[in-house]
Amino acid sequence: MREYIVEMNHIVKSFGEVRAVRNGEFTLRKGEVHSLIGENGTGKSTMMKLLYGMYPIDSGEIIINGEKIEKLDPKSAIAHGVGMVHQEFMLVNDLTVLENVILGFEPKKGLTIDFEKARKDIQHFIDRYQMDIQLDKKVSQISVGEAQRVEIIKTLMRGVDIIILDEPTAVLTPQETRKLFEILANLKAEGKSLVFISHKLNEVMEISDRISVMRQGQYMGTVDKDKTSPLELTKMMIGREVFLNIDKTYSKVGGKVLEVKDIWVSSLKETSKIRGMSLHVNEGEIVGIAGIDGNGQSELIEAITGLRKVEKGSVILNGQDITNKKPRAIRETGLAHIPENRNTRGLNHTMSIEDNLIAVEIDKEPYTKGIMMNVDASSKYAEEMVKQFDIRPTDYKLPTSALSGGNAQKVVVAREVSMNKKLLIASQPTRGVDIGAIETIRNTLEIAKKKGTGVLLVSAELEEIISLSDRIIVIHEGRITGELAANEANENNLGLLMMGGEDELEKGETES
Amino acid sequence: MNQSLKSFIKILITIVLSLLIGTIFILVTGENPISAYGALLKGALGTKLGLGTTIANFTPLLLTSVAFVVAAKVGAFNVGVEGEVILGGLAAAYIGINWVFLPAPLLLLACFAGAMAVAAAWAFIPAFLKAYYNVSEVCVTILMNSVALYIGSYLVSGPMSAGTAVPQSDPVQVTIPKIMNPSSANAGLFIAILIVVAVIFMLYKTKWGYKIRTVGTNPAHAEYAGIGSKRVFINAMLLSGMLGGIAGCIEVLGVHGFYLDGFAKDLGTNGMLAALIVKSNIVATPFMAFFIAVLKSGALAMQQASGVPKSVVDIITAIFIVIATMEFVIELKKKHKKGE
Repeated sequence: MREYIVEMNHIVKSFGEVRAVRNGEFTLRKGEVHSLIGENGTGKSTMMKLLYGMYPIDSGEIIINGEKIEKLDPKSAIAHGVGMVHQEFMLVNDLTVLENVILGFEPKKGLTIDFEKARKDIQHFIDRYQMDIQLDKKVSQISVGEAQRVEIIKTLMRGVDIIILDEPTAVLTPQETRKLFEILANLKAEGKSLVFISHKLNEVMEISDRISVMRQGQYMGTVDKDKTSPLELTKMMIGREVFLNIDKTYSKVGGKVLEVKDIWVSSLKETSKIRGMSLHVNEGEIVGIAGIDGNGQSELIEAITGLRKVEKGSVILNGQDITNKKPRAIRETGLAHIPENRNTRGLNHTMSIEDNLIAVEIDKEPYTKGIMMNVDASSKYAEEMVKQFDIRPTDYKLPTSALSGGNAQKVVVAREVSMNKKLLIASQPTRGVDIGAIETIRNTLEIAKKKGTGVLLVSAELEEIISLSDRIIVIHEGRITGELAANEANENNLGLLMMGGEDELEKGETES
Repeated sequence: MNQSLKSFIKILITIVLSLLIGTIFILVTGENPISAYGALLKGALGTKLGLGTTIANFTPLLLTSVAFVVAAKVGAFNVGVEGEVILGGLAAAYIGINWVFLPAPLLLLACFAGAMAVAAAWAFIPAFLKAYYNVSEVCVTILMNSVALYIGSYLVSGPMSAGTAVPQSDPVQVTIPKIMNPSSANAGLFIAILIVVAVIFMLYKTKWGYKIRTVGTNPAHAEYAGIGSKRVFINAMLLSGMLGGIAGCIEVLGVHGFYLDGFAKDLGTNGMLAALIVKSNIVATPFMAFFIAVLKSGALAMQQASGVPKSVVDIITAIFIVIATMEFVIELKKKHKKGE
């Protein structure tokens, strides 16, 4: 018998310009739980969606049960025994659980649906795996955890023996997670093979047999659970890169520019994603925020910049209370902001480089006089910026959609930094840009700091945080777990705090 | 420039294709397509009356199509232009009949101002609902069109009725001079052209236009940059409504001389079609509006001269939309393929 029932070799997958998976590798043994971990946007979900046939691969090969599959779509994936439980449930709210499970392959009795047979079949799985499911309730009336079990039953009913679970615990309470893990253990005991996608290390350490790590679309390696530790996994996930040389200066730190006092903020899906954060930024220093992606960084920045509502607590900028003020008012109080997503927030790709450079100052002289836009002034300014930040191509009348990621990001950085505001928020300033642009952007932040700007830096690159920051604040699940001076910080102690600190880890270990 | 040349060629191809398919329908009716199209062109452009009718058709279409484009630039699909035309016409008629204490030039101005104000207020409702409660402006404007239509019908059948068999109001005391008797073409054409030029200028040369385009193309960016997207959205919808109101005012004061029930029929829809065919390219829209005006005014002549029913013209305009949409689908597919 073959060692692996699934093999994915040298997988490459791009979406337009974005290379979601550069070099993906994955193998699955029969009857194991194999976790795929990595930060957000590292291609782990994409890898599994490729296995489930939701998109075709660009290159590479997928082998299931020894057979090389040329053309894969969800239907044939199911026929090959691969099922997937998606992050977003694919259930019809107004149908009952029973109807949902059989939707698409209803057992027939003449012209009508044989509900009795369906019920019996499903009940068989429910009993076998001790799933707690109420078949006659509508999906809109059941809990998230139950809906997830319905999804699992759905895959089982289709006769699969490989089940992919895409971040199944993200939506569950700890109790429901416990229940899920029991079911997964039952499934494994029955010989099913499971793929578990997650970025929560303690869960991964609890249920996996083997663990594969991905970073920026690259396969980083596979380890046996028994031979690894959360610390090693963190290092694999975050990684080390070539150290870019930045002459870090310790300038004289001035008064407080930004003060965040015990704020609570909701995210799109979770209420109180941020639970009581307090921090401050002084003039002339860079404060780095370290943390695994998705632990509240985005919500914190949006709350400070007025793009998300603060539920409780206050934000003070330049001595003025800016809590829940409009973005424009906050900018006028002294904020510049390099947003984490340059494509949706930072730039308007239908407009020219020049028009994007004046986007936040469109109401000000000299770019408008009265109501008229002053093209002479904005062109002159654009010409200067293109030269100063080495934006290529240099034709500033081109739309920003024509620029590479690095050059597009330089447009955002040029605009925000050249305003010389008191506070500069830089969120993932070098994400997805080339090495040359990384250097330009990092130096720009350093220069801003020397000029006395207070900089709040959020980055998924630990190396970037360590090399640029004067102080480092670590967050985990919406809370600050520690603060370190830059010269005390290293990947070990930061990694520990990023996982919730010593207490959390010990707790995790005794549990498992 | 290259880009605009390309889109110009695309529009030409669309026109030719639709005329070709129209040819098939004409052949089905057993007529000669060349003589039918000839009669259509001659009827629309070849005689003084025909040309005048074409211009009279073109004037409101120019305004309603640009009204649709302005809304589209801010990301709204304003089906409600027709309702705005009706209410603008009503306001102009009311003022033109009752405010006779004003000297004529001031009365004329008052009619336009009133039409713009009422139409803008009407457009405010869907704009506000969309901006603050995310209610689909498409649904709201479609429904409000019926409401506007019946408000007009009620008023000219009741309180504002001239007492004639046809539901219409008393004549207004100020009119816009006709320019090509005996047709309905009137000096409103020049007003419309001036206003449209001003709107194009506003969209591309002023900070208001910049904000409208930003909100329309990337609202998340607008929010981040501190551009109050809700306010900009509402303002653009108000402007769109005003343009509809002006069209109504010109129809009442320039064409009819009173408020005639149902005068706005299809004015909004055809303006919307003109804009949709050229994908809300504001420079191409007036040309498309003119082309539709030619088809509409020539259709009757074609029917009289050749026996081809004038509904063939409606078929041709419908095919326009289909082809223009198809091109949109093809482009999407290309993008999708590239994405894979």
